[in-house]
Amino acid sequence: MHELLDSNSLTQIKLLRKYLKLKILEDDIRFRHHKSERDHVYNLISRSILHGESHSALVIGPRGCGKTTLINSVLHQIANEADLVNDAIIVKLNGLIHQDDKIALKSITAQMQLENAVGDRVFGTFAENLSFLLSCLMSGVDRKCKSMVFILEEFDMFCHSGRTQTLLYNLFDITHSKQAPMCVLGITNRIDVMEMLEKRVKSRFSHRHIFLFPNENQTGVEKSPLETCKEIFIQSLCMPLSLAKKNVMDTPKRRKGRRSVVSLEKMDIDTEDTQYAISEEVLTRCKVDSKQFQCLEYGFIESWNAHIQSIVEDQKLIDCLEKFSYYTVNEQLFKDVLFQIVSKLSPSKPYIEVNDISSIIDNTVSPEHRVKLLQSLSILELSLVIAMMHGMQIFDGQPMNFEMVLHRYTKFSNTNSSTQTVPRPVILKAFEHLQELEIIMPVRSTDSIYNTETTTSRVQKEYKLYTLAVPIEDIKEAVKGFKVLPTEINHWFNNSVL
Amino acid sequence: MEEIYNKLLCREDQLKNLLDFLGDSDEPLPASLFVSGSMATGKTLCLTTVLQYLNYKHVFIDCIECYSPKIMYEAILTGLSDDQVDVKCDSLWELINNLNKLGNNQNSYEPIVLVFDRAERLRNMDQNIMSTFLRLREFCNLNVCTIFVTHLIYDNFYFKVGAREPIKLYFPNYNKEELFKIIFLHQKSFVRHLTNNHNIDCDIKEELERPELFANFLNAFLSVFYRPCRDLIELQHMARVNFVKYCEPIIKNEIKSNDLSKLWRHIAPILKTSLELLYLRINNTKVPTQSPGKENGDTMQPQCYNFENTLKEELLSTKTFAQSFELPYYAKFLLIAAYLASYNPPKEDKRLFMKNHGKQRKKLQQVKAKAKINEKLNTQLGPKVFTLDRLLAIFYAILEERIGLTSNLLAQIATLVELKLIAGSKEIDLDSSKYKCIIGYDFISAVAQTVGFNVRKYLYDFI
Repeated sequence: MHELLDSNSLTQIKLLRKYLKLKILEDDIRFRHHKSERDHVYNLISRSILHGESHSALVIGPRGCGKTTLINSVLHQIANEADLVNDAIIVKLNGLIHQDDKIALKSITAQMQLENAVGDRVFGTFAENLSFLLSCLMSGVDRKCKSMVFILEEFDMFCHSGRTQTLLYNLFDITHSKQAPMCVLGITNRIDVMEMLEKRVKSRFSHRHIFLFPNENQTGVEKSPLETCKEIFIQSLCMPLSLAKKNVMDTPKRRKGRRSVVSLEKMDIDTEDTQYAISEEVLTRCKVDSKQFQCLEYGFIESWNAHIQSIVEDQKLIDCLEKFSYYTVNEQLFKDVLFQIVSKLSPSKPYIEVNDISSIIDNTVSPEHRVKLLQSLSILELSLVIAMMHGMQIFDGQPMNFEMVLHRYTKFSNTNSSTQTVPRPVILKAFEHLQELEIIMPVRSTDSIYNTETTTSRVQKEYKLYTLAVPIEDIKEAVKGFKVLPTEINHWFNNSVL
Repeated sequence: MEEIYNKLLCREDQLKNLLDFLGDSDEPLPASLFVSGSMATGKTLCLTTVLQYLNYKHVFIDCIECYSPKIMYEAILTGLSDDQVDVKCDSLWELINNLNKLGNNQNSYEPIVLVFDRAERLRNMDQNIMSTFLRLREFCNLNVCTIFVTHLIYDNFYFKVGAREPIKLYFPNYNKEELFKIIFLHQKSFVRHLTNNHNIDCDIKEELERPELFANFLNAFLSVFYRPCRDLIELQHMARVNFVKYCEPIIKNEIKSNDLSKLWRHIAPILKTSLELLYLRINNTKVPTQSPGKENGDTMQPQCYNFENTLKEELLSTKTFAQSFELPYYAKFLLIAAYLASYNPPKEDKRLFMKNHGKQRKKLQQVKAKAKINEKLNTQLGPKVFTLDRLLAIFYAILEERIGLTSNLLAQIATLVELKLIAGSKEIDLDSSKYKCIIGYDFISAVAQTVGFNVRKYLYDFI
């Protein structure tokens, strides 16, 4: 593994990187933990497909805890066990895309492949349309209806406030009628979603809630987030040895002493390997030929895995992961971190460095972009921010207009002869720049102070009221770390509320 | 690869990150990137060069141009399709259907990048749109990555129920040395700009082309301008304007090009005056400090420039601007009256404008209270509305002669409204119409000067 510079190692590392990236970004089938919840969902779907029962349920969990992955993995499993194509129709809707019922219905028709049947028919109501769709399904050869599985992502978006929840009402209504076996699964991250449902919708819903919480494994025992992080880390970064299995067979040059080790490892491999591998389905979806990965050398993968295992033991890494899990339990975010780590791999840098990881985690978790933005201001602009901050401290956070800020600023610059004086228009420009960067924000209800007559209520820009949109702590931080800040400004900032 | 780094100075880290994230063409792309950084920090430039270098299929969407969702979707689709067909796309659903069609026709996992420049505008649209684009990858079977470029930070984007977080990249501002390096890159064009506009002897030309000369100028320039301005574009513009002046004495053979201290003494006041024009983009060809050598520069400039110049000249000072209106005598007084009515509290009118207003004792409490709300002066809070009655009352109070209230006089008010010096309705209705004076103190004092009136004396704030 030390002859890094030849072309072989280059392709090796590229393949490795590609494989890991695929695994991190594309694998939406693998699901860990939450066994009971998964079984629950699995039961619901399989029962409605195999036995023709009707069900409805809501999967609720915070963002990035794997709700969609859960569904995907269940569907994947069912696809292997049952004949999904002939027995069931799966309709996936997303609240983000299918905002209104018309579009949703169009999409349902398309996903049921019934566009031809519908043709130019005109329907009076939504329910009529939907029941027509269902009856179309019934009119098959064997007069037996296919089961329907409706998966509604971003379920809360379907509960339009103000408009009637026709789609939900009809779907839930069908689950109660004998029209067709149907399973409706809603996925949402809003825990209060039930309160958004109309009464008639609510009464038709089965009230089956499936909660997914991170940091909770199947036994219900709290598992430390750090452990979960570590597990995902190993899981996502380790390579399956089976990829290169063939090469092992082809190269029996290994010394005898090592042989036994290899065969020993093989025992583990079979159990562990499948865990590290990407399923074939994902690869075909991504139009990637799995054969190309066979070029990976066994030794290379082995040493890579060893590298991962050793790095996990590193105290520094553990600290980083702990910090991360302290901030968030969002698995999606962690995957992004892993992606960034993997994308840093290159032939000249074939291993992961812990320092990189820690900087990436710092960047994700506490980017402090606001402080950086404040530090990128010019001295004039920063002075205006400070002037505004002082003014708001004096007047208990009352909004200020440009004239007041200018007044404070000129007061300061008059006492300090060393500062260059700039004319009013330039300062106004700087003020507008601050507004553009949304460091200061206009107060919306400005007009209430003045007369609310339409023509006269429009205020000139100098007199528009603004509030500071950055917390004072951030300004403090920014001033502390500001490069080559003139001392008088620093002094002014710290001292005076004149 | 090296080329990019040489072309885009001082952005090594950011470029490296971008290249890393976008990876090779057969690798999957991240779902979304969020590129932020202050104005003029090279965000868009870096992205375009990187994408061109990688030769990925990409679409640049300027969110100002694509102000409505429909236009944006159609821009995305026409950008991605190879043949020029008019695509109709109204909703996100159709967009995703079309993208999926595109994906089904592809036989490889080709990387596609959608760049949303000025992404802060996306906030004006439906929130769903941005949250959908943040996770577009999940919705279609393409190897697609959305990149958002904006000068705001991610915290300024609010999502009601949260969204999938993008990977964030920050572009810090250039510091002084970096600005120097970048502006110095264009030294040739600066000199060309100079030599094209002036008749210059060959040997002086050589002198001017010396990089040290430009470096010296840039040092002096940045020492003055770095403080109020960090915007590369603006600095470049100002440098271009000022470099011409820096070189004038050299062209006229007054100062040797290696006499640095003399050159500095020559340029320092010029820099200071042009500092006052920062961001204002006023072409001041007639600054008093200029030397006659400038004139041949003027004649070289195209004629069409002249009209604009006169206009800008007027904008240059409020005084000339105010005089440019050439208001009639009474209109001036009406305007002053309007200003006074706007910036004085009505209950003080009696005291300010009547001869025998009775004595007013200044109580200690009052004085204190007034000092305390120093910041809340009327002149700082902006103009208040006033009625026509009050305007006329003040008008007659400050006007010494007696004139009748004629329709001509009232028409003047309409004119002032028309000229946008007073805000209010054009129709004069004696009972209900309300007005507000929308000009600044500088303007009104310039107007008042022409009729010999002291505005300050009648402003409550200054008494």
